[in-house]
Amino acid sequence: MDITWYLVLSAFIFAIGAAGVISRRNPLVVLLCLELMLNAGNLALVAFSRMHGSEAGQVFALIVMVIAACEVVVGLGIIVAMYRNRLPIDIDEMSELRG
Amino acid sequence: MTIHLSIVLFLPLASGLVAALLPGRLARSAVLAGPLAVLAYVIVMLFDYESGGGLQWVTNDEWISELGISYKLGVDGLNLFLIALTAIAWVPCTLVAAFSVVERPRLYFFHLALAETAVLGAFMAQDLALFIVFFDLMLVPFYFLIGGWGSGERVRATTKFVIYTLSGSLLMLAAAIALGVLATPDGGEISFALSDLQQRSIAEGSQHWIVLLFALAFFVKAPLFPLHGWVPETYRSTSIPVLALLSGVLSKVGVYGFLRIVLPVMPDGAQYWQELFIIVAVFSILYGSILAFSQDNVRLVLAYSSIAQLGFIVLGIFLFEEKGAQGALFQMLNHGLVTVPLFLILGVIAIRARGSESLSALGGMAFRAPVLAGLFLVISLATLAMPGSGNFIGEMLILFGAFEDNLVYGLVASVGVVLAAVYMIRLYQGTMHGRVGSAVESIDIDRVNLAAIAPLVAVIVALGVYPNFVIDRTEKDVAKNVAAAKRVTNPEVSVIK
Amino acid sequence: MSATSYGWLVLAFPLAGMLIIALGWRVLPGRLPGWIGTAAIFLSFLASIGALVDLQDHPEDERQLVDRAWTYAASADFSADVAILVDPLSVFMCLVVSGVSFLIHLYSVAYMSGDRGYARYFAYLNFFVFSMLLLVLAANFVILIIGWAFVGAASYLLISYWYRRETAVRAGIKAFVINVIGDVALVVAAFLILDKIPSLDFLTVFEGAGAAFGQNDGMLVAACVLILVGAFAKSAQLPLHTWLPDAMEGPTPVSALIHAATMVTAGVYLIARMHPLFELAPTAADVGAIVGCATLVFAGTVAVVVTDLKRVIAYSTISQIGYMVMGASIAAYGAGLFHLMTHAFFKALLFMGAGSVIGAMAGIQDMDRMGGFRRAMPFTFVTFTIGALALAGFPLTAGFFSKDEIIAFAINRGDLYAVLAIFGYIGAFLTAFYAFRMVFRVFLGEAVPEARELEGGHLAHGDPVNPMTGEPEDTDVGFPGPEHHVAEQAWPMKAAMGPLALLAIVGGVVAIPGVSDILEKFLEPTFEDSRFHDTAPTTGAEVWGLVVGGLISILGIGLAWWVYVRKPGTAARARERFAWLHRFLVNKWYFDELYDAMFVRPVATIGGFSKRVIETEFVQGTIVGGATGVVRVGSTFARAIQTGYLRAYALLLLLGVAALTLYFLLNSS
Repeated sequence: MDITWYLVLSAFIFAIGAAGVISRRNPLVVLLCLELMLNAGNLALVAFSRMHGSEAGQVFALIVMVIAACEVVVGLGIIVAMYRNRLPIDIDEMSELRG
Repeated sequence: MTIHLSIVLFLPLASGLVAALLPGRLARSAVLAGPLAVLAYVIVMLFDYESGGGLQWVTNDEWISELGISYKLGVDGLNLFLIALTAIAWVPCTLVAAFSVVERPRLYFFHLALAETAVLGAFMAQDLALFIVFFDLMLVPFYFLIGGWGSGERVRATTKFVIYTLSGSLLMLAAAIALGVLATPDGGEISFALSDLQQRSIAEGSQHWIVLLFALAFFVKAPLFPLHGWVPETYRSTSIPVLALLSGVLSKVGVYGFLRIVLPVMPDGAQYWQELFIIVAVFSILYGSILAFSQDNVRLVLAYSSIAQLGFIVLGIFLFEEKGAQGALFQMLNHGLVTVPLFLILGVIAIRARGSESLSALGGMAFRAPVLAGLFLVISLATLAMPGSGNFIGEMLILFGAFEDNLVYGLVASVGVVLAAVYMIRLYQGTMHGRVGSAVESIDIDRVNLAAIAPLVAVIVALGVYPNFVIDRTEKDVAKNVAAAKRVTNPEVSVIK
Repeated sequence: MSATSYGWLVLAFPLAGMLIIALGWRVLPGRLPGWIGTAAIFLSFLASIGALVDLQDHPEDERQLVDRAWTYAASADFSADVAILVDPLSVFMCLVVSGVSFLIHLYSVAYMSGDRGYARYFAYLNFFVFSMLLLVLAANFVILIIGWAFVGAASYLLISYWYRRETAVRAGIKAFVINVIGDVALVVAAFLILDKIPSLDFLTVFEGAGAAFGQNDGMLVAACVLILVGAFAKSAQLPLHTWLPDAMEGPTPVSALIHAATMVTAGVYLIARMHPLFELAPTAADVGAIVGCATLVFAGTVAVVVTDLKRVIAYSTISQIGYMVMGASIAAYGAGLFHLMTHAFFKALLFMGAGSVIGAMAGIQDMDRMGGFRRAMPFTFVTFTIGALALAGFPLTAGFFSKDEIIAFAINRGDLYAVLAIFGYIGAFLTAFYAFRMVFRVFLGEAVPEARELEGGHLAHGDPVNPMTGEPEDTDVGFPGPEHHVAEQAWPMKAAMGPLALLAIVGGVVAIPGVSDILEKFLEPTFEDSRFHDTAPTTGAEVWGLVVGGLISILGIGLAWWVYVRKPGTAARARERFAWLHRFLVNKWYFDELYDAMFVRPVATIGGFSKRVIETEFVQGTIVGGATGVVRVGSTFARAIQTGYLRAYALLLLLGVAALTLYFLLNSS
């Protein structure tokens, strides 16, 4: 089966997500775009799995979903902590790790 | 009695760990137990040693076989007395450290003990990679000891010290890896064991730069001019027992490396650089001596004196013949034996002078401290290599070797001997004689320092009476290690007995 | 007991004495350390006699005995054992050294009494005697050099014995450094010899020297000149003499022992011992003779003008050693060593007498403040005058026979040496003059206050000060003690000076030309291999030399009497007329200033320059600065990337991944 358009779609979504991560300042939106990138990856995995007829891709996609979920939890936790400590919800302000 | 070298090697570390965990006064006893046990072992080794019997009490285990690195320890004439020096030097310094008032004493003791293990390892290692592991490991506890328990500008001093030494070590690591790789014969297995490396041949061109990189690392450690920039600040900031060990024992690891690794494995490379290194050594003798008697701070007098003495040792090594190398090896032992008590005495003096270390403010301390003055006198005379001390025989052998090679180098080195008399007597008189200094409170030596210094003085005197104890046991192995380099320099000379 | 066993005993007793005193100083009461030290040297003297007796039992050609104790150091072709050589020369030196040392120890028991460092003094003194004996008994170069250095160290310790005195401390380091120069010269000489003859043992070297080196071989001449440098440093000959006058900072018995009778004679012993080498290198021997001659004239001229009593005697020593060095260099071994022995007697005596006078003066050493002591100190006056007579070479004293024999030998050898002999006579005239200059200025004339006090039975006292600079001191450890002693009131001092006075008179009996040649015959086994063995002057020539010498001595004494007793203002008038000459001589021909300008100041300048420029700017600035600078610059670059902005990191990440992907895509196609 020809999966070209699936991959194109996946690439599109990945690019949109990447652009969002780089250009948006609100951490919630960054997380959202991160999710987009992850799901784009999932799409590509499932598409390839269909092409090769192997389940490994689908299993991997499930694992990615789990990891995405965990990561969102941690990210949201950080954002809530930022809010609670009256810090500005802006990733450009969080530059204490500068060298 | 069979002696397992690994026990000797790790005993100090074990006692250090124990000391780090025990409370207060028990920690003190624990940290002393390790070095004392090692000393006992070493004394047995000295009398059990078979002169000319090659490597003894060898421990040879596979470690990282894919890279050809083996855990190989051994003792022969070359390192027997350096191990003895380490064992002898660590006991008094640990004693003085244990009874001095420091912050976080248990951590201090642990680092001292770890340092002893590292130094012993560097001396005992018979595998190049293992040697480098211990060589770099030595740096870690000393970094903490200087930076954490020093005085004055200690952070800056430590930073300089570490950057300098690590730069050298980095170059040496690269050279060592290259050596191991380039020495591997086609189809053969890579090996870093020194015995294997000695059998294998390495291209001459490669030898040149490998020897240079090793030399850079060792010259920083020694130290020799012009790579001695780390010395003044480090010597000013380090606490006394640590400084005694740094100057007395640590400096020898580098020059030992020349005799153990560079000369036997890369004789052609060594011969390529021979002339230059001899000039560097002779210049260090002069430079160190001149600066030694121009200093006002007593620690710096000894610092520059060490540069001069190490210059003598390197000169002896790079003459590539038995007398010079024998003298150099003997001088490593002698210099360590006099340097350790010298620094301990400086510590005693500083306590009695309200911390002052300036020769212009000191003086007349012998007034109520005859025992201190007496011990200091014997050690000073030994340091300036007065005939009748072991140092004299060491220097005489080096000078004789130098005269054979080139009369001019020998004469310049002889001037160094006269200058040594000047700066040591100046140091002795500046602290002990003359009018009692303004800040000085003359009290005789206390029991702890006496227990630390007197045995060292006894050993110094004993070596002055019977230096052949050392020379006899080291002769054959020194000759063997110098043989390859000697053959390259004098191809027509036949193999030595 | 064999001669060599006696030899070891000779060494063992002073060493044991030193150890006992040094380790037990806290528990030994009062003068006991002094008596222990004196007893040790006396036992050593007895052992020397034992060695002498046993040695004479051996047949004449078997009187050079070597005994080895243990191997000292052996590496490749360098091999040295701890070994002693017992032969007539070494036994002779042992007798002189231990004998005179014993008397000086005895003198010191009383003289140093009251000094807070009493035990330390005797420990050092015993150590010194041990070192000197080790030096003369050495059988190879290494042990010789060790003994040589120990003697130098002992001398340093004794010169700066009053260590809180700055002048003494400075004198000590000066002596020590010059001595080390001599040591190094000997080491280089030993190498030059080892290079050609594979042994450092004296007997082996002497036997093989002829074959290994040709006549006047460059290397051998160099080695001998270096040996001379060592000898000159130890014996205070030109140009390495500047330490000896300063060494008068030490206690007077020290000056008597070290700087009159023993240490300074080590150089003469060395030349005599090395005679087979010197005879193969006549150039070097000539250098020795010329330097010896120049020294004796130089020192004589300075002794005529200096006013410090001990320094006059010091310069006299330098001058007399010049005679001995000259004698040994022209192969007049017997004569040179004879003068060594007689000089030990009368010079030690003179120093002891000076010590007594200085005690009466409460520590002052300036002759300008002395006068008229002959009534207050009769014993000292008589013994001092005997010593001065012997020094001046007055007929029939010991000095008369010994000094003039050297000059007679020189005349006999002719050419250059006859010229040296003339200077020798000039020196003898000066000697007689300054010797009695001392006698007349100190003992004759108006009695000074201290002398009058002493006539009343009471010893003068003053505040303790440094006699050279007048700085105030105290009497605790490190400075002289509160007591002063004169021979008239202390029997140990008299007991020491008496025998010396006797020996100064009758000591010449061992070598009266034409009558007795005991000394010459005794020393023969050592020196029979000398080329000049049969070129000794005839009895007639010797007697002539003695007559001339005697006349010169009487003339010199006469002139001194005229200047100082008959016409007292003469000296002051001469000083005015020849002010420039006087200044030149009083400043010791400006040698100290010359050395200061040539060596001390340039080296100090180099030191300062190195410290300021090379250390700070070059090493710290460039090299260390370079290394740490490189690290700092590198880390600055690395830090520039760590902006802390999350988005920047993310961008970099994406760009990196894109680049890699592109790379692999392109490569795989």
